[in-house]
Amino acid sequence: MFRILIVDDEVINRAMLVQMLNDTGYVHCVEAEDGEKALALAEQYPPDLVLLDVVMPGMSGLDVAPKLKALSPDCYLPILFITALDDQESLVACLAAGGDDFVSKPFDRLILTAKIKAHERSRRMGLELAEKNHSLRLVQQDVERNHRIVEHIFANALDSSDTLNDYFNYYIQPETQFNGDVLLCEKSPSGGVYLFVGDFTGHGLASAIGAIPVSQAFVRMTEKGLSVSEIAIRLNRILLSFLPADMFCVAAIIEIDSSGTRFSIWNGGLPRIVLRDAMGKIQHRLDSRHMPLGVLSEKEFEHDVDIVEANEDDMLLVYTDGLMETLHPEQGLLGEEGVEQWFSEGGINSARQFVELAKVYRLGQPAKDDMTIVLFRCEPFMFDNHVARTHTALLPFELKFTLGKAHLQSQNVVDTFIQRLGHVEGLESARSELYTVVTELVNNAIDHGVLQLNSSLKKDPNAFETYYAERSARIEALEQGEVSVSMHCDPDLRLLTIKVSDSGAGYDVSQIAPSDDEDTFGRGLQLVQAICESVQVTDSGRCTVATMAF
Amino acid sequence: MAIKTEQVQGERWVIYIGEKFDFSLVTDFRQAYSELPASIKHIEVDLSNTQYMDSSALGMLLNMQKLLADKNLTYSITHCRAAVARILEISRFNKKFTIS
Repeated sequence: MFRILIVDDEVINRAMLVQMLNDTGYVHCVEAEDGEKALALAEQYPPDLVLLDVVMPGMSGLDVAPKLKALSPDCYLPILFITALDDQESLVACLAAGGDDFVSKPFDRLILTAKIKAHERSRRMGLELAEKNHSLRLVQQDVERNHRIVEHIFANALDSSDTLNDYFNYYIQPETQFNGDVLLCEKSPSGGVYLFVGDFTGHGLASAIGAIPVSQAFVRMTEKGLSVSEIAIRLNRILLSFLPADMFCVAAIIEIDSSGTRFSIWNGGLPRIVLRDAMGKIQHRLDSRHMPLGVLSEKEFEHDVDIVEANEDDMLLVYTDGLMETLHPEQGLLGEEGVEQWFSEGGINSARQFVELAKVYRLGQPAKDDMTIVLFRCEPFMFDNHVARTHTALLPFELKFTLGKAHLQSQNVVDTFIQRLGHVEGLESARSELYTVVTELVNNAIDHGVLQLNSSLKKDPNAFETYYAERSARIEALEQGEVSVSMHCDPDLRLLTIKVSDSGAGYDVSQIAPSDDEDTFGRGLQLVQAICESVQVTDSGRCTVATMAF
Repeated sequence: MAIKTEQVQGERWVIYIGEKFDFSLVTDFRQAYSELPASIKHIEVDLSNTQYMDSSALGMLLNMQKLLADKNLTYSITHCRAAVARILEISRFNKKFTIS
């Protein structure tokens, strides 16, 4: 539909125009005999084109034109003045008032319809444009709303942890500006820390979105205490299925043990990770050995991990390529070497110093890429949540049981019991060690106490087989024997005392220490000694008391 | 199943151990490497799921090396969790296995 408003005080003019327009197919015509009526009609039935007489009683055409134009602010409304005037001044006044063209009296059908057609095209284009602008505005509002939602999710999903703030010095772009860099930090069940430094391809929302599944999975896996390579495998699997083919995540996954000096590192595409000693000398350089996460199929994926041993007060530097790609207009890229030089010779101690230096190096130009920098000064982690949980969850307890002949003959009784005990809240962090210590002590009591197996078997070339064959035979033939276990837990001192005694004839402890690294058995007590705070063997080898911290 | 095995890229033999690696696995573990394809050059023991381990597991690992000594294989222990890594470390297993 194309609606034409005809404004003229003379009935005959209006009738002629309506007739001509109807004849050429413009059937939606609205008539007004003066300016005021015209404005009222235009508001009720918005026109697509106006034929407007200049000289009328009341408001003149020149007064009405700007008011009509104002009614269609978003879209071009053609106004054609109907005029018998032909002096220059009047025509200029018409155009100045907002007129777009003239139709002269007497009317010429051909010229009139040609002009209307031309302006119809403009009007239709204007309408289309207005509609597109409108839908663009809607889309824009939608995007803004989505951004706000995602920002909210991000703020919650990637909440920077206390651990990160307490032990690491880091820099990451503010959360409100979406970026492809991700920094995650979680405590490990064994008292250390897991760190994830990642950089998704691209910038903005699209690249940041991958951070959510990664962070969720990372939290779950670190709670379970999975190894670094296992975490790498699983994150790769998630990103492979989640991200489009042209997107991936350059990342380093790092586990730091509770002493803060032993690192397991998987580096897939991040710049070289560097360890500096207290004198500023670089002790380790860990170049990326792997493809980023989300590229290789499970079969091709490489999960080898590098182990780095450090000393207290050494400093580890992990960063994304935004830092090394810092550009100097003449000297070019800063590069890994440049970063290392700052770190080593510049005595940098905080991520912020890197950021400032980088800014100077760029001569104040804005950074081209997201930049994340993490520094860790090697020191033991002292998480006090152990103590806090102890009082609420772990009671001081005593536990005693005695294994008779039947229990000694069925292998798994103790193992399974201790495994369960390790899941008592408060003991979880030590469950693996607890298992090892108790099973070793019990096995020693059975082997050397009750069964009287002796270590001379070691010299046999098939020592392992012979030893265990002999053990099975003796267990089966066992007529009597007992092993007693008692445990005392002190949650305040965080100590577990484990006492194991047996009914055997006793044995010489020195006899069972392994003589070299080749021996396939007999290293149990050695393990217990390394894990526990103290181990005492009394009663001629019949009783062992071990105290372990947890 | 407490133990699974897999041949990877022809020459690598991976033995996956379950949650517990101790004497109860002695037969299964022995079987896991008893019939190796001729192309195998490397044995990997994957401990990603292992939380509990005692010294008999150490014995089983060393025994494997002794029994396969004439095959000229290399060995690695992978994906150790911290507690397990510590046991291997105490026992100086890094001398005989590549550990990660």
